[in-house]
Amino acid sequence: MASEPILQVSGVSLRKGRATLLDNVSFALERGRFYGLLGPNGAGKSSLLKILYRAEAASAGGIELDGRPVHALGRRVYAARVGALVQEKVSLSGMNLLEVVELGLLPLALPSREVRERAGEALRMIDLSHRAGEDAAHLSGGEQQRLFFAQLLALNPDIYLLDEPNNHLDLHFQYKLLDIVKRRQRTVLASFHDIGLAVRYCDEVMLLDGGRLVGQGAMAKVLDRRSLAETYRVDGSFTDGRLEIAGPV
Amino acid sequence: MTVASFRSPGLFALVVVALLLAGLAGVFWGTADLTWDDRYKALFRLPDAKPALQLIVWEWRLPRVLMVALVGAALTLAGLLMQALLRNPLADPYLLGLSSGASAAAAAAIIWLPGVFVSVIGLPMLAFGGAMLAFLVALGLSFSPGRNLDRLMLILSGTAVSLFFQSITAFFLHIAEPHVTQQALQWLMGSAAGTKWPDLLPLAVTLPLLAIVAFLCAPMLDAVLLGDERATALGVPVGLLRIGFFSAAALLTGLAVAAAGIVSFVGLIVPHLARLLIGATHRWLIPLALLIGAIVLVLVDLLCRTVLAPQELPLGVLLALFAAPPFIIILRRMRRGV
Repeated sequence: MASEPILQVSGVSLRKGRATLLDNVSFALERGRFYGLLGPNGAGKSSLLKILYRAEAASAGGIELDGRPVHALGRRVYAARVGALVQEKVSLSGMNLLEVVELGLLPLALPSREVRERAGEALRMIDLSHRAGEDAAHLSGGEQQRLFFAQLLALNPDIYLLDEPNNHLDLHFQYKLLDIVKRRQRTVLASFHDIGLAVRYCDEVMLLDGGRLVGQGAMAKVLDRRSLAETYRVDGSFTDGRLEIAGPV
Repeated sequence: MTVASFRSPGLFALVVVALLLAGLAGVFWGTADLTWDDRYKALFRLPDAKPALQLIVWEWRLPRVLMVALVGAALTLAGLLMQALLRNPLADPYLLGLSSGASAAAAAAIIWLPGVFVSVIGLPMLAFGGAMLAFLVALGLSFSPGRNLDRLMLILSGTAVSLFFQSITAFFLHIAEPHVTQQALQWLMGSAAGTKWPDLLPLAVTLPLLAIVAFLCAPMLDAVLLGDERATALGVPVGLLRIGFFSAAALLTGLAVAAAGIVSFVGLIVPHLARLLIGATHRWLIPLALLIGAIVLVLVDLLCRTVLAPQELPLGVLLALFAAPPFIIILRRMRRGV
Protein backbone atom coordinates (compact mmCIF):
# COMPACT_ATOMS: atom_id res chain seq x y z
CA MET A 1 0.00 0.00 0.00
CA ALA A 2 1.22 3.47 -0.79
CA SER A 3 2.23 5.75 2.10
CA GLU A 4 -0.03 8.57 3.28
CA PRO A 5 0.14 11.49 0.80
CA ILE A 6 2.04 14.53 2.02
CA LEU A 7 -0.16 16.84 -0.04
CA GLN A 8 -3.72 16.11 -1.07
CA VAL A 9 -5.49 18.33 -3.62
CA SER A 10 -9.25 17.69 -3.85
CA GLY A 11 -11.55 19.17 -6.44
CA VAL A 12 -9.69 22.47 -6.77
CA SER A 13 -11.17 25.01 -9.19
CA LEU A 14 -10.16 28.56 -9.97
CA ARG A 15 -12.48 30.97 -11.75
CA LYS A 16 -11.72 34.56 -12.73
CA GLY A 17 -14.73 36.39 -14.02
CA ARG A 18 -16.12 34.05 -16.66
CA ALA A 19 -12.85 32.25 -17.31
CA THR A 20 -12.25 28.89 -15.66
CA LEU A 21 -8.52 28.52 -15.10
CA LEU A 22 -8.72 25.28 -13.15
CA ASP A 23 -11.59 22.85 -13.22
CA ASN A 24 -12.03 20.29 -10.46
CA VAL A 25 -8.39 19.20 -10.19
CA SER A 26 -7.61 16.40 -7.75
CA PHE A 27 -4.36 14.53 -7.05
CA ALA A 28 -2.12 13.45 -4.23
CA LEU A 29 1.64 13.86 -3.81
CA GLU A 30 3.53 11.09 -2.08
CA ARG A 31 6.49 11.84 0.10
CA GLY A 32 9.90 11.93 -1.59
CA ARG A 33 8.72 11.72 -5.19
CA PHE A 34 9.49 14.12 -8.04
CA TYR A 35 6.34 15.13 -9.93
CA GLY A 36 6.31 16.92 -13.25
CA LEU A 37 3.50 19.29 -14.14
CA LEU A 38 3.06 19.31 -17.90
CA GLY A 39 0.73 20.96 -20.34
CA PRO A 40 0.62 23.52 -23.14
CA ASN A 41 0.55 27.29 -22.60
CA GLY A 42 -2.47 28.36 -20.59
CA ALA A 43 -3.18 24.84 -19.33
CA GLY A 44 -3.27 26.11 -15.74
CA LYS A 45 0.16 24.99 -14.48
CA SER A 46 1.09 28.33 -12.95
CA SER A 47 -2.43 28.86 -11.57
CA LEU A 48 -2.26 25.51 -9.81
CA LEU A 49 1.16 26.28 -8.33
CA LYS A 50 -0.04 29.73 -7.23
CA ILE A 51 -2.85 28.12 -5.31
CA LEU A 52 -0.38 25.72 -3.74
CA TYR A 53 1.93 28.51 -2.56
CA ARG A 54 -1.13 30.46 -1.48
CA ALA A 55 -0.81 33.49 -3.75
CA GLU A 56 -4.28 32.62 -5.09
CA ALA A 57 -7.28 31.28 -3.25
CA ALA A 58 -9.11 28.40 -4.92
CA SER A 59 -12.72 29.14 -5.87
CA ALA A 60 -13.65 25.62 -4.82
CA GLY A 61 -12.03 22.51 -3.42
CA GLY A 62 -9.50 21.94 -0.69
CA ILE A 63 -5.85 21.19 -0.04
CA GLU A 64 -4.48 19.17 2.85
CA LEU A 65 -0.90 19.05 4.07
CA ASP A 66 -0.28 15.86 6.06
CA GLY A 67 -4.03 15.47 6.44
CA ARG A 68 -4.58 18.97 7.80
CA PRO A 69 -6.53 21.53 5.79
CA VAL A 70 -4.17 24.21 4.53
CA HIS A 71 -6.37 27.16 5.47
CA ALA A 72 -6.08 26.06 9.10
CA LEU A 73 -2.28 26.41 8.96
CA GLY A 74 -0.60 29.76 9.51
CA ARG A 75 1.05 31.29 6.45
CA ARG A 76 4.48 31.14 8.00
CA VAL A 77 4.14 27.55 9.22
CA TYR A 78 3.00 26.51 5.76
CA ALA A 79 5.77 28.49 4.02
CA ALA A 80 8.39 26.76 6.16
CA ARG A 81 7.25 23.36 4.85
CA VAL A 82 6.17 24.24 1.31
CA GLY A 83 8.68 26.42 -0.55
CA ALA A 84 8.22 27.84 -4.01
CA LEU A 85 10.31 29.05 -6.92
CA VAL A 86 8.05 31.75 -8.33
CA GLN A 87 7.89 33.21 -11.83
CA GLU A 88 7.53 36.91 -11.19
CA LYS A 89 9.41 39.72 -12.85
CA VAL A 90 10.99 42.11 -10.42
CA SER A 91 13.81 44.63 -10.49
CA LEU A 92 15.91 44.25 -7.40
CA SER A 93 18.06 47.03 -6.10
CA GLY A 94 19.62 48.10 -2.88
CA MET A 95 20.01 44.59 -1.47
CA ASN A 96 23.10 42.46 -1.82
CA LEU A 97 23.03 38.85 -2.98
CA LEU A 98 23.54 37.35 0.45
CA GLU A 99 20.68 39.42 1.89
CA VAL A 100 18.31 38.25 -0.83
CA VAL A 101 19.17 34.60 -0.17
CA GLU A 102 18.79 35.15 3.58
CA LEU A 103 15.22 36.31 2.99
CA GLY A 104 14.48 32.80 1.77
CA LEU A 105 14.85 31.67 5.37
CA LEU A 106 12.23 34.15 6.61
CA PRO A 107 9.64 31.44 7.44
CA LEU A 108 12.03 29.65 9.81
CA ALA A 109 12.96 32.38 12.34
CA LEU A 110 16.47 30.98 12.82
CA PRO A 111 19.29 32.62 14.79
CA SER A 112 21.16 35.06 12.55
CA ARG A 113 24.40 33.04 12.55
CA GLU A 114 22.64 29.99 11.15
CA VAL A 115 20.81 32.15 8.60
CA ARG A 116 24.14 33.49 7.38
CA GLU A 117 25.68 30.02 7.18
CA ARG A 118 22.82 28.42 5.30
CA ALA A 119 22.51 31.37 2.90
CA GLY A 120 26.27 31.36 2.28
CA GLU A 121 26.17 27.63 1.54
CA ALA A 122 23.28 28.10 -0.91
CA LEU A 123 25.12 30.97 -2.58
CA ARG A 124 28.07 28.60 -3.15
CA MET A 125 25.76 26.07 -4.80
CA ILE A 126 24.72 28.65 -7.39
CA ASP A 127 28.36 29.77 -7.91
CA LEU A 128 27.74 33.34 -6.82
CA SER A 129 29.48 33.41 -3.44
CA HIS A 130 32.33 35.52 -4.78
CA ARG A 131 29.77 38.25 -5.45
CA ALA A 132 27.86 37.96 -2.15
CA GLY A 133 28.20 41.66 -1.29
CA GLU A 134 27.20 42.97 -4.69
CA ASP A 135 23.98 44.84 -5.41
CA ALA A 136 21.39 42.40 -6.80
CA ALA A 137 20.37 45.12 -9.28
CA HIS A 138 23.26 44.18 -11.54
CA LEU A 139 22.27 40.55 -12.08
CA SER A 140 21.22 39.12 -15.44
CA GLY A 141 17.92 37.26 -15.76
CA GLY A 142 19.60 33.89 -15.34
CA GLU A 143 21.62 35.04 -12.36
CA GLN A 144 18.46 36.37 -10.72
CA GLN A 145 16.77 33.01 -11.25
CA ARG A 146 19.77 31.29 -9.63
CA LEU A 147 19.52 33.68 -6.69
CA PHE A 148 15.85 32.84 -6.10
CA PHE A 149 16.72 29.16 -6.51
CA ALA A 150 19.32 29.63 -3.78
CA GLN A 151 16.62 30.99 -1.44
CA LEU A 152 14.78 27.71 -1.83
CA LEU A 153 17.93 25.59 -1.47
CA ALA A 154 18.74 27.42 1.78
CA LEU A 155 15.21 26.83 3.10
CA ASN A 156 15.13 23.18 2.00
CA PRO A 157 11.39 22.69 2.58
CA ASP A 158 9.53 19.37 2.68
CA ILE A 159 7.82 20.20 -0.60
CA TYR A 160 9.47 22.10 -3.46
CA LEU A 161 7.09 23.87 -5.84
CA LEU A 162 9.05 24.89 -8.94
CA ASP A 163 7.37 27.02 -11.59
CA GLU A 164 9.46 26.45 -14.71
CA PRO A 165 12.70 26.09 -12.77
CA ASN A 166 14.86 26.08 -15.91
CA ASN A 167 13.60 29.50 -17.02
CA HIS A 168 16.50 31.80 -18.03
CA LEU A 169 19.06 29.24 -16.81
CA ASP A 170 21.90 28.10 -19.03
CA LEU A 171 22.35 24.35 -19.59
CA HIS A 172 24.92 23.94 -16.82
CA PHE A 173 22.68 25.38 -14.13
CA GLN A 174 19.52 23.68 -15.42
CA TYR A 175 21.13 20.35 -14.66
CA LYS A 176 23.19 21.38 -11.67
CA LEU A 177 20.34 22.91 -9.66
CA LEU A 178 17.73 20.27 -10.48
CA ASP A 179 20.31 17.57 -9.68
CA ILE A 180 20.77 19.12 -6.23
CA VAL A 181 17.00 19.14 -5.66
CA LYS A 182 16.68 15.56 -6.89
CA ARG A 183 19.48 14.36 -4.60
CA ARG A 184 17.73 15.80 -1.57
CA GLN A 185 14.86 13.33 -2.10
CA ARG A 186 12.17 15.75 -1.01
CA THR A 187 8.74 15.95 -2.56
CA VAL A 188 8.86 18.08 -5.70
CA LEU A 189 6.17 19.43 -7.99
CA ALA A 190 7.76 21.19 -10.96
CA SER A 191 6.23 22.57 -14.12
CA PHE A 192 8.23 21.99 -17.29
CA HIS A 193 8.05 23.05 -20.89
CA ASP A 194 11.13 21.04 -21.72
CA ILE A 195 9.98 17.41 -21.93
CA GLY A 196 13.56 16.16 -22.15
CA LEU A 197 14.36 17.72 -18.79
CA ALA A 198 11.12 16.38 -17.32
CA VAL A 199 12.04 12.84 -18.42
CA ARG A 200 15.34 13.04 -16.58
CA TYR A 201 13.90 14.14 -13.24
CA CYS A 202 10.26 13.12 -12.89
CA ASP A 203 9.10 9.92 -11.24
CA GLU A 204 5.62 10.71 -12.39
CA VAL A 205 3.89 13.45 -14.38
CA MET A 206 0.55 15.20 -14.34
CA LEU A 207 -0.82 16.52 -17.59
CA LEU A 208 -3.04 19.61 -17.52
CA ASP A 209 -5.06 20.83 -20.44
CA GLY A 210 -7.55 23.72 -20.38
CA GLY A 211 -7.55 23.71 -16.58
CA ARG A 212 -8.36 20.03 -16.27
CA LEU A 213 -6.12 17.21 -15.15
CA VAL A 214 -6.17 14.88 -18.16
CA GLY A 215 -3.53 12.39 -17.16
CA GLN A 216 -1.36 11.25 -14.30
CA GLY A 217 1.23 8.52 -14.01
CA ALA A 218 4.42 7.37 -15.67
CA MET A 219 5.52 9.69 -18.41
CA ALA A 220 5.45 7.16 -21.27
CA LYS A 221 1.90 6.25 -20.32
CA VAL A 222 0.60 9.82 -19.93
CA LEU A 223 2.28 11.18 -23.05
CA ASP A 224 1.03 8.67 -25.61
CA ARG A 225 0.44 9.52 -29.25
CA ARG A 226 -3.20 10.49 -28.63
CA SER A 227 -2.60 12.79 -25.65
CA LEU A 228 0.36 14.43 -27.41
CA ALA A 229 -1.93 15.23 -30.33
CA GLU A 230 -4.81 16.43 -28.14
CA THR A 231 -2.95 18.54 -25.59
CA TYR A 232 0.34 19.58 -27.15
CA ARG A 233 -0.99 19.43 -30.73
CA VAL A 234 2.09 17.63 -32.03
CA ASP A 235 2.52 14.38 -33.84
CA GLY A 236 4.93 12.49 -31.66
CA SER A 237 5.54 9.38 -29.67
CA PHE A 238 7.48 8.22 -26.67
CA THR A 239 10.04 5.55 -27.39
CA ASP A 240 12.86 4.29 -25.16
CA GLY A 241 12.42 7.19 -22.75
CA ARG A 242 12.72 9.77 -25.51
CA LEU A 243 10.13 11.95 -27.12
CA GLU A 244 10.27 11.92 -30.91
CA ILE A 245 8.25 14.65 -32.56
CA ALA A 246 7.43 14.52 -36.26
CA GLY A 247 5.78 17.95 -36.38
CA PRO A 248 2.71 19.97 -35.41
CA VAL A 249 -0.71 18.45 -35.88
CA MET B 1 29.21 47.60 -7.17
CA THR B 2 28.84 46.76 -3.51
CA VAL B 3 25.69 47.73 -1.68
CA ALA B 4 25.94 50.13 1.15
CA SER B 5 29.62 50.49 1.73
CA PHE B 6 28.64 53.09 4.35
CA ARG B 7 26.75 50.55 6.43
CA SER B 8 28.45 51.00 9.77
CA PRO B 9 27.84 52.26 13.31
CA GLY B 10 30.07 55.19 12.36
CA LEU B 11 27.49 56.48 9.90
CA PHE B 12 24.77 56.36 12.53
CA ALA B 13 26.97 58.14 15.06
CA LEU B 14 27.67 60.81 12.46
CA VAL B 15 23.99 61.26 11.66
CA VAL B 16 22.97 61.44 15.33
CA VAL B 17 25.63 64.10 15.93
CA ALA B 18 24.39 65.96 12.86
CA LEU B 19 20.83 65.85 14.21
CA LEU B 20 21.95 67.22 17.58
CA LEU B 21 23.94 70.00 15.90
CA ALA B 22 21.01 70.86 13.63
CA GLY B 23 18.73 70.92 16.67
CA LEU B 24 21.11 73.20 18.59
CA ALA B 25 21.39 75.49 15.58
CA GLY B 26 17.60 75.56 15.34
CA VAL B 27 17.24 76.47 19.00
CA PHE B 28 20.00 79.05 19.29
CA TRP B 29 20.27 80.72 15.87
CA GLY B 30 19.94 84.47 16.18
CA THR B 31 21.31 84.59 19.71
CA ALA B 32 24.84 85.21 18.53
CA ASP B 33 25.68 87.84 21.14
CA LEU B 34 25.27 85.35 23.97
CA THR B 35 27.92 83.05 25.38
CA TRP B 36 27.58 79.25 25.28
CA ASP B 37 27.50 79.37 29.05
CA ASP B 38 24.28 81.44 28.96
CA ARG B 39 22.79 79.19 26.31
CA TYR B 40 23.63 76.08 28.28
CA LYS B 41 22.03 77.52 31.41
CA ALA B 42 18.86 78.48 29.52
CA LEU B 43 18.59 75.10 27.82
CA PHE B 44 18.82 73.20 31.09
CA ARG B 45 16.83 75.79 33.06
CA LEU B 46 19.54 76.33 35.62
CA PRO B 47 18.68 78.76 38.44
CA ASP B 48 20.92 81.61 37.17
CA ALA B 49 19.75 81.44 33.53
CA LYS B 50 18.69 84.65 31.77
CA PRO B 51 14.85 84.65 32.05
CA ALA B 52 14.28 86.17 28.58
CA LEU B 53 16.49 83.64 26.86
CA GLN B 54 14.99 80.79 28.81
CA LEU B 55 11.55 81.93 27.72
CA ILE B 56 12.57 82.10 24.07
CA VAL B 57 14.24 78.71 24.16
CA TRP B 58 11.54 76.88 26.09
CA GLU B 59 8.38 78.54 24.84
CA TRP B 60 9.32 79.24 21.20
CA ARG B 61 12.36 77.51 19.87
CA LEU B 62 12.44 74.08 21.45
CA PRO B 63 8.84 73.03 20.72
CA ARG B 64 9.19 74.28 17.17
CA VAL B 65 12.45 72.46 16.48
CA LEU B 66 11.10 69.25 18.00
CA MET B 67 7.93 69.58 15.95
CA VAL B 68 9.70 69.97 12.61
CA ALA B 69 11.98 67.07 13.51
CA LEU B 70 8.94 64.90 14.25
CA VAL B 71 7.15 66.02 11.08
CA GLY B 72 10.25 65.32 8.96
CA ALA B 73 10.67 61.84 10.41
CA ALA B 74 6.93 61.07 10.21
CA LEU B 75 6.62 62.02 6.53
CA THR B 76 9.81 60.10 5.77
CA LEU B 77 8.41 56.98 7.41
CA ALA B 78 5.12 57.40 5.55
CA GLY B 79 6.92 57.74 2.20
CA LEU B 80 9.31 54.90 2.92
CA LEU B 81 6.49 52.49 3.79
CA MET B 82 4.51 53.42 0.69
CA GLN B 83 7.54 53.05 -1.58
CA ALA B 84 8.33 49.61 -0.16
CA LEU B 85 4.78 48.28 -0.29
CA LEU B 86 4.14 49.56 -3.81
CA ARG B 87 7.71 48.81 -4.99
CA ASN B 88 7.48 52.25 -6.53
CA PRO B 89 10.09 54.94 -5.94
CA LEU B 90 7.57 57.69 -6.69
CA ALA B 91 5.09 56.68 -4.00
CA ASP B 92 4.79 59.37 -1.38
CA PRO B 93 2.01 60.75 0.84
CA TYR B 94 1.87 63.86 -1.30
CA LEU B 95 1.63 62.06 -4.67
CA LEU B 96 -0.98 59.54 -3.48
CA GLY B 97 -3.30 62.33 -2.35
CA LEU B 98 -3.00 61.71 1.40
CA SER B 99 -1.60 65.15 2.09
CA SER B 100 -4.31 66.81 0.00
CA GLY B 101 -7.02 64.81 1.77
CA ALA B 102 -5.61 65.78 5.14
CA SER B 103 -5.31 69.45 4.23
CA ALA B 104 -8.80 69.61 2.71
CA ALA B 105 -10.17 68.21 5.95
CA ALA B 106 -8.10 70.67 7.95
CA ALA B 107 -9.12 73.63 5.77
CA ALA B 108 -12.75 72.63 6.16
CA ALA B 109 -12.22 72.42 9.90
CA ILE B 110 -10.63 75.86 10.14
CA ILE B 111 -13.00 77.69 7.81
CA TRP B 112 -16.31 75.94 7.79
CA LEU B 113 -16.95 73.39 10.52
CA PRO B 114 -18.40 74.61 13.85
CA GLY B 115 -15.63 75.42 16.33
CA VAL B 116 -17.07 73.16 19.02
CA PHE B 117 -17.02 70.18 16.71
CA VAL B 118 -13.42 70.81 15.73
CA SER B 119 -12.25 71.31 19.28
CA VAL B 120 -13.94 68.09 20.43
CA ILE B 121 -12.51 65.86 17.69
CA GLY B 122 -9.30 67.77 17.23
CA LEU B 123 -7.57 68.94 14.07
CA PRO B 124 -5.12 65.99 14.01
CA MET B 125 -7.91 63.41 13.97
CA LEU B 126 -9.82 65.32 11.29
CA ALA B 127 -6.69 65.52 9.15
CA PHE B 128 -6.10 61.78 9.65
CA GLY B 129 -9.70 61.18 8.58
CA GLY B 130 -9.09 63.24 5.44
CA ALA B 131 -5.86 61.39 4.61
CA MET B 132 -7.51 58.01 5.17
CA LEU B 133 -10.52 58.97 3.06
CA ALA B 134 -8.26 60.12 0.22
CA PHE B 135 -6.31 56.89 0.43
CA LEU B 136 -9.45 54.73 0.43
CA VAL B 137 -10.85 56.59 -2.59
CA ALA B 138 -7.53 56.19 -4.42
CA LEU B 139 -7.52 52.49 -3.51
CA GLY B 140 -11.14 52.08 -4.58
CA LEU B 141 -10.50 53.75 -7.94
CA SER B 142 -7.56 51.49 -8.70
CA PHE B 143 -9.19 48.29 -7.50
CA SER B 144 -10.71 45.82 -9.88
CA PRO B 145 -12.27 42.65 -8.45
CA GLY B 146 -10.34 39.41 -8.80
CA ARG B 147 -7.11 41.11 -9.80
CA ASN B 148 -4.07 42.17 -7.87
CA LEU B 149 -3.62 45.84 -7.11
CA ASP B 150 -2.16 47.62 -10.12
CA ARG B 151 0.59 49.80 -8.71
CA LEU B 152 0.63 52.28 -11.56
CA MET B 153 -3.15 52.67 -11.41
CA LEU B 154 -2.89 53.46 -7.71
CA ILE B 155 -0.42 56.28 -8.36
CA LEU B 156 -2.64 57.70 -11.12
CA SER B 157 -5.75 57.43 -8.94
CA GLY B 158 -3.81 59.12 -6.15
CA THR B 159 -3.00 62.00 -8.44
CA ALA B 160 -6.67 62.33 -9.44
CA VAL B 161 -7.78 62.21 -5.82
CA SER B 162 -5.13 64.76 -4.96
CA LEU B 163 -6.48 67.17 -7.58
CA PHE B 164 -10.03 66.66 -6.32
CA PHE B 165 -9.14 67.45 -2.71
CA GLN B 166 -7.04 70.42 -3.75
CA SER B 167 -10.10 71.89 -5.45
CA ILE B 168 -12.12 71.35 -2.28
CA THR B 169 -9.45 73.16 -0.32
CA ALA B 170 -9.49 75.98 -2.87
CA PHE B 171 -13.27 76.18 -2.56
CA PHE B 172 -13.09 76.60 1.22
CA LEU B 173 -10.38 79.21 0.89
CA HIS B 174 -12.54 81.06 -1.62
CA ILE B 175 -15.69 81.23 0.51
CA ALA B 176 -13.88 82.23 3.69
CA GLU B 177 -13.36 85.73 5.09
CA PRO B 178 -10.16 87.25 3.65
CA HIS B 179 -8.26 87.26 6.93
CA VAL B 180 -9.23 83.64 7.64
CA THR B 181 -8.13 82.70 4.13
CA GLN B 182 -4.78 84.38 4.69
CA GLN B 183 -4.34 82.54 7.96
CA ALA B 184 -5.35 79.18 6.50
CA LEU B 185 -3.18 79.69 3.44
CA GLN B 186 -0.13 80.44 5.52
CA TRP B 187 -0.69 77.31 7.54
CA LEU B 188 -1.38 75.18 4.46
CA MET B 189 1.91 76.13 2.85
CA GLY B 190 3.68 74.63 5.80
CA SER B 191 4.88 76.20 8.99
CA ALA B 192 5.58 75.09 12.51
CA ALA B 193 5.61 78.63 13.86
CA GLY B 194 3.80 79.01 17.16
CA THR B 195 3.99 75.34 18.12
CA LYS B 196 3.11 74.80 21.77
CA TRP B 197 4.27 71.86 23.84
CA PRO B 198 0.89 70.05 23.87
CA ASP B 199 0.81 70.19 20.05
CA LEU B 200 3.75 67.81 20.01
CA LEU B 201 1.90 65.05 21.81
CA PRO B 202 0.11 63.24 18.93
CA LEU B 203 3.26 62.80 16.82
CA ALA B 204 5.55 62.24 19.79
CA VAL B 205 3.46 59.23 20.79
CA THR B 206 2.48 57.87 17.36
CA LEU B 207 5.74 58.18 15.48
CA PRO B 208 7.99 56.14 17.83
CA LEU B 209 5.33 53.43 18.13
CA LEU B 210 4.88 53.06 14.37
CA ALA B 211 8.62 53.31 13.76
CA ILE B 212 9.19 50.39 16.14
CA VAL B 213 6.44 48.33 14.50
CA ALA B 214 7.93 49.05 11.06
CA PHE B 215 11.40 48.13 12.31
CA LEU B 216 10.12 44.82 13.67
CA CYS B 217 8.47 44.11 10.31
CA ALA B 218 11.64 45.06 8.40
CA PRO B 219 12.36 41.56 6.98
CA MET B 220 8.77 41.31 5.72
CA LEU B 221 9.12 44.69 4.00
CA ASP B 222 12.34 43.41 2.41
CA ALA B 223 10.48 40.33 1.18
CA VAL B 224 7.80 42.51 -0.47
CA LEU B 225 10.62 44.08 -2.52
CA LEU B 226 11.11 40.65 -4.15
CA GLY B 227 7.53 40.67 -5.47
CA ASP B 228 4.08 40.00 -4.03
CA GLU B 229 3.97 36.35 -4.98
CA ARG B 230 7.46 35.64 -3.73
CA ALA B 231 6.70 37.37 -0.45
CA THR B 232 3.46 35.38 -0.15
CA ALA B 233 5.34 32.15 -0.83
CA LEU B 234 7.70 33.15 1.99
CA GLY B 235 4.71 33.31 4.35
CA VAL B 236 4.35 37.10 4.43
CA PRO B 237 0.72 38.26 4.76
CA VAL B 238 1.16 40.82 1.99
CA GLY B 239 -2.42 42.13 1.92
CA LEU B 240 -2.57 42.63 5.67
CA LEU B 241 0.86 44.28 5.71
CA ARG B 242 -0.25 46.66 2.98
CA ILE B 243 -3.51 47.66 4.66
CA GLY B 244 -1.81 48.09 8.02
CA PHE B 245 1.10 50.19 6.84
CA PHE B 246 -0.95 52.28 4.41
CA SER B 247 -3.19 53.16 7.36
CA ALA B 248 -0.07 53.98 9.36
CA ALA B 249 1.14 56.22 6.53
CA ALA B 250 -2.26 57.97 6.44
CA LEU B 251 -2.13 58.50 10.19
CA LEU B 252 1.41 59.92 10.07
CA THR B 253 0.51 62.18 7.15
CA GLY B 254 -2.66 63.41 8.87
CA LEU B 255 -0.81 64.22 12.08
CA ALA B 256 2.01 65.92 10.17
CA VAL B 257 -0.41 68.04 8.14
CA ALA B 258 -2.37 68.99 11.25
CA ALA B 259 0.86 70.04 12.91
CA ALA B 260 2.62 71.91 10.12
CA GLY B 261 0.46 72.09 6.98
CA ILE B 262 1.49 70.51 3.71
CA VAL B 263 5.17 69.67 3.76
CA SER B 264 5.78 68.14 0.35
CA PHE B 265 8.66 66.07 -1.02
CA VAL B 266 10.26 65.03 2.29
CA GLY B 267 8.57 61.63 2.07
CA LEU B 268 9.77 61.25 -1.50
CA ILE B 269 13.35 62.48 -1.38
CA VAL B 270 14.67 61.47 2.04
CA PRO B 271 14.09 57.70 1.70
CA HIS B 272 15.97 57.84 -1.62
CA LEU B 273 18.87 59.68 -0.10
CA ALA B 274 19.03 57.15 2.73
CA ARG B 275 18.82 54.25 0.26
CA LEU B 276 21.78 55.64 -1.68
CA LEU B 277 23.79 55.71 1.53
CA ILE B 278 22.82 52.41 3.06
CA GLY B 279 20.84 50.24 0.61
CA ALA B 280 17.24 49.08 0.71
CA THR B 281 17.41 46.60 3.59
CA HIS B 282 14.84 47.98 5.98
CA ARG B 283 16.47 47.20 9.32
CA TRP B 284 19.18 49.69 8.31
CA LEU B 285 17.10 51.96 6.12
CA ILE B 286 14.31 52.79 8.58
CA PRO B 287 16.47 54.24 11.39
CA LEU B 288 18.77 56.12 9.03
CA ALA B 289 15.96 57.60 6.91
CA LEU B 290 14.04 58.80 9.97
CA LEU B 291 17.13 60.56 11.36
CA ILE B 292 17.86 62.20 8.00
CA GLY B 293 14.21 63.25 7.63
CA ALA B 294 14.38 64.98 11.00
CA ILE B 295 17.67 66.71 10.14
CA VAL B 296 16.44 67.91 6.75
CA LEU B 297 13.31 69.51 8.12
CA VAL B 298 15.07 71.12 11.10
CA LEU B 299 17.58 72.72 8.72
CA VAL B 300 14.94 73.78 6.17
CA ASP B 301 12.86 75.32 8.97
CA LEU B 302 15.94 77.17 10.19
CA LEU B 303 16.55 78.52 6.68
CA CYS B 304 12.90 79.56 6.35
CA ARG B 305 13.27 81.61 9.51
CA THR B 306 16.56 83.23 8.63
CA VAL B 307 16.67 83.84 4.87
CA LEU B 308 14.23 86.77 4.89
CA ALA B 309 14.34 87.50 8.63
CA PRO B 310 12.37 88.90 10.36
CA GLN B 311 9.85 87.55 7.81
CA GLU B 312 9.32 83.81 7.60
CA LEU B 313 9.07 81.72 4.45
CA PRO B 314 6.68 78.76 4.38
CA LEU B 315 8.43 75.39 4.59
CA GLY B 316 6.92 74.32 1.28
CA VAL B 317 8.68 77.06 -0.69
CA LEU B 318 12.23 76.12 0.22
CA LEU B 319 11.51 72.38 0.22
CA ALA B 320 10.22 72.48 -3.33
CA LEU B 321 13.33 74.41 -4.33
CA PHE B 322 15.68 71.85 -2.76
CA ALA B 323 13.62 68.84 -3.82
CA ALA B 324 13.32 69.62 -7.52
CA PRO B 325 16.86 68.51 -8.55
CA PRO B 326 16.79 65.15 -6.68
CA PHE B 327 13.24 64.56 -7.93
CA ILE B 328 14.45 64.91 -11.52
CA ILE B 329 17.36 62.55 -10.81
CA ILE B 330 14.96 59.92 -9.43
CA LEU B 331 12.78 60.22 -12.53
CA ARG B 332 15.77 59.79 -14.82
CA ARG B 333 17.03 56.80 -12.85
CA MET B 334 13.56 55.24 -13.06
CA ARG B 335 13.55 55.69 -16.81
CA ARG B 336 16.84 53.84 -17.03
CA GLY B 337 15.23 51.15 -14.94
CA VAL B 338 17.75 51.32 -12.09
